Amino acid sequence: MAEGIDIAGGGLFQIAEPDTGQPKQRRKVGRAIGIDLGTTHSLVAIAPNGAAPRVLVDEHGEALLASVVSYAGDEISVGREARAVAVEHPEQVLSSVKRFMGRGPKDITFDHPYRLATDDQVVRIDVAEPGAAPRYVSPVEVSARILEVLEQRAFDEIGEIGGAVITVPAYFDDAQRQATKDAGRIAGLEVYRLLAEPTAAALAYGLDRQGRGDHGEGLFAIYDLGGGTFDVSILRLRDGVFQVLATGGDSALGGDDFDRALAAMLLERGGITAPSPTQLQEVMQAARAAKEALSDAESTTVELAHGGLEPFTLTRAQFEELIASLVKRTIRASKATLKDAGVDKRELDGVVLVGGSTRVPLVREQVAKAFGREPLADIDPDKVVAYGAAIQADILSGSAREGVTLLDVVPLSLGLETMGGIVEKIIPRNATIPISARQVFTNYSEKQTGMSVHVVQGERELVDDCRSLARFDLHGIPQLPPSMARVEITFELDADALLTVTARELMTGVKQSIEVKPTYGLSSEEVDGLVMDSLDHAREDFAARNLAEARVELGRVVLAVRTALDEVGEIGELLQPQEREAILASIAEAEQVMVDASLSDPVNAARERLEQLSGPFARRRMERALRSGMSGKTLAEIEAALAEDEQLDARRGAHSAEVIE
Amino acid sequence: MAAENQSASNGAAALEAFDPTLDHFARLGLDRGWTIDRDALERGYLERSRRYHPDRHVGADSSTRRAAVEHSSALNQGYRTLRDPVARAEYLVKLGGVDLDSSDPQTGAPHPEQAMLIEMIERREQLDDLLRAGADEDALSELRDQVEDELDAVFDQAIAALTHNDIRAAAAALVQRRYLQRFIGEIDGALEQS
Repeated sequence: MAEGIDIAGGGLFQIAEPDTGQPKQRRKVGRAIGIDLGTTHSLVAIAPNGAAPRVLVDEHGEALLASVVSYAGDEISVGREARAVAVEHPEQVLSSVKRFMGRGPKDITFDHPYRLATDDQVVRIDVAEPGAAPRYVSPVEVSARILEVLEQRAFDEIGEIGGAVITVPAYFDDAQRQATKDAGRIAGLEVYRLLAEPTAAALAYGLDRQGRGDHGEGLFAIYDLGGGTFDVSILRLRDGVFQVLATGGDSALGGDDFDRALAAMLLERGGITAPSPTQLQEVMQAARAAKEALSDAESTTVELAHGGLEPFTLTRAQFEELIASLVKRTIRASKATLKDAGVDKRELDGVVLVGGSTRVPLVREQVAKAFGREPLADIDPDKVVAYGAAIQADILSGSAREGVTLLDVVPLSLGLETMGGIVEKIIPRNATIPISARQVFTNYSEKQTGMSVHVVQGERELVDDCRSLARFDLHGIPQLPPSMARVEITFELDADALLTVTARELMTGVKQSIEVKPTYGLSSEEVDGLVMDSLDHAREDFAARNLAEARVELGRVVLAVRTALDEVGEIGELLQPQEREAILASIAEAEQVMVDASLSDPVNAARERLEQLSGPFARRRMERALRSGMSGKTLAEIEAALAEDEQLDARRGAHSAEVIE
Repeated sequence: MAAENQSASNGAAALEAFDPTLDHFARLGLDRGWTIDRDALERGYLERSRRYHPDRHVGADSSTRRAAVEHSSALNQGYRTLRDPVARAEYLVKLGGVDLDSSDPQTGAPHPEQAMLIEMIERREQLDDLLRAGADEDALSELRDQVEDELDAVFDQAIAALTHNDIRAAAAALVQRRYLQRFIGEIDGALEQS
């Protein structure tokens, strides 16, 4: 069915037969979650059945989970604990792993303290103890660990999870998107959709606003500067439809680069030319802290304990000088995207800031200047993307949420290689999806009986400058004079941005079709293996959850029985001494099981024994209590009366519901 | 409980089967013709998008989901074509039986006239001369303005022919317009370099 083929230029891509009649599983309405999987922080939010979105917090009340995973020691840890040990274990604590997603080693042109496998098409990071045998993890697995923590957080809140929407930078290409989707799968999530981050932010903002005029029209620019990526999108809201008009950006530019620029300056100042991993982690943390401090203060003090840098004062002006060219790049991309959308900045109703890096005063200032207005930031820029993801997740779970339809676009052009390595664009960037487009090609000689179809993604003219997505051949073209044989190529892009390419010879009807699934070096077998691993973990997790629940339940029964024993202590006829002893022994046994058990089964068994043993006593107590109010009736009679009442209630309930309808 | 029992098709009514024979105008509820009501186009598109978008039918059966994708794809394609004046004109010519993207001798793009081709060759020589002389920005801009004026005039001819339902004449003018458009692209490339 699926064959992996090697393509010159690095990437490994897979071609699978399109699976047609496969029925989709029924979705669980209102049980979907939205996840913002960020370079520096990640969040999870829910908005079930049309409710307003809300971000879920951990046991400390924190919404933001640091996107940091530590492999130091025996346990994998995620978040703040992982970040806390980053300086001690610089090679084993991974942060900003989003920058490696869907990338090959040749794409990694930035500094980082990690040990990468060099002989692979895909980035793999060695997270073993320095000196020990290598232990490689892929960025996809690392991201899955982060997703699992958020998934657990959501599970604790809502129980069973139907599916998830995960946000990605609008400018992510297909390989980066596929990597993100796989991370979701490995974490055990059904990924309903990957949603562009700026679009998610616009959803969250748009719902808050009515817009102008009869159609509730609004035109927004979303400027999203995250830790590792920059996106800008122009959206129109009208008649309850969110229409993405254009999107642009830079998938390798973010607030991390501000940190890097500052870190480079600090290292230079400290006279360090070849920093050790420890020094690199330390200087990156110092740079980030200084950047954050300078958002409010005009100056801050920086020092490097490991880097031999004495405390010195860094001013905001110095910092701004370092990042000015980076900010300028984002402004240039913003202007180009406005042009793509055919929108003049004066027509905009608002400019929305998203991403922690938009807290930098220079960014705000430059954005205000470029768009000619003060940007909006009244929704927390750290949370707004997760809110939007939760809203879209709710829609995709099948919820009857009113007034939101999202028309998204394809961020990069899709095309074919033609003679001479030139790209013929079939679906232009910023085309609204779903969309299909076709183009007819002719033969160049009567000897030609086949045609090679090479699908590429990107804006450049030459195939070599674009990302190769797939190749396949169409055979059986009839021998006809030049330009007489016609091959129609159809690109179909569905609402999930999944591309199917079909080639058909128009005279004979010979046809070949593929679903284009880019991968980034992890084969589908490897991903499946990782999914299985996570299922094993899921089984463990499930068992742990069951045990916890069983313990709570047993504790509840023990407490109830104990309370009853205390109450009846003086009323001899209710409880004979031997029975009392037996019950007490059973309680003692149950309490011991509660401490010892590592599985839920013995706990549940102990609870059942205690319930059985104390059952007659409980009945006697109930009978006595009832007799005082309903003298002359047996317990059986009372139970029957109660049951009848219940039935009546049920019928009444059904009936009154009909009346309401 | 109630939420789990209810149909997961977001409450939308079942979709009618996709009709591939509709043209973009009919699909978007507009009268066929060069002049369109922009607001009616926007309203028609958004109204239908709300109804047909696949996201509104995620829980429906597979034939409904397939229909949603087909309807939506055709709507997006139609909207894209009709809101762009040039694409709209070329589409009207196509509906009239001439496909400018095809080289078929009967139904494909008409061959440009000899005089026009000679003129294009001369223009290209002019551009080459400018580039050899060091690609003076003012001179390039001037050439660009000239060609753009001509392009506007040719497009006006195409619209006039379309309103008189003269498909052949409209097609010829639109082919000429494409040549001029490509040439402007080349000048822009040279301007960017300079």
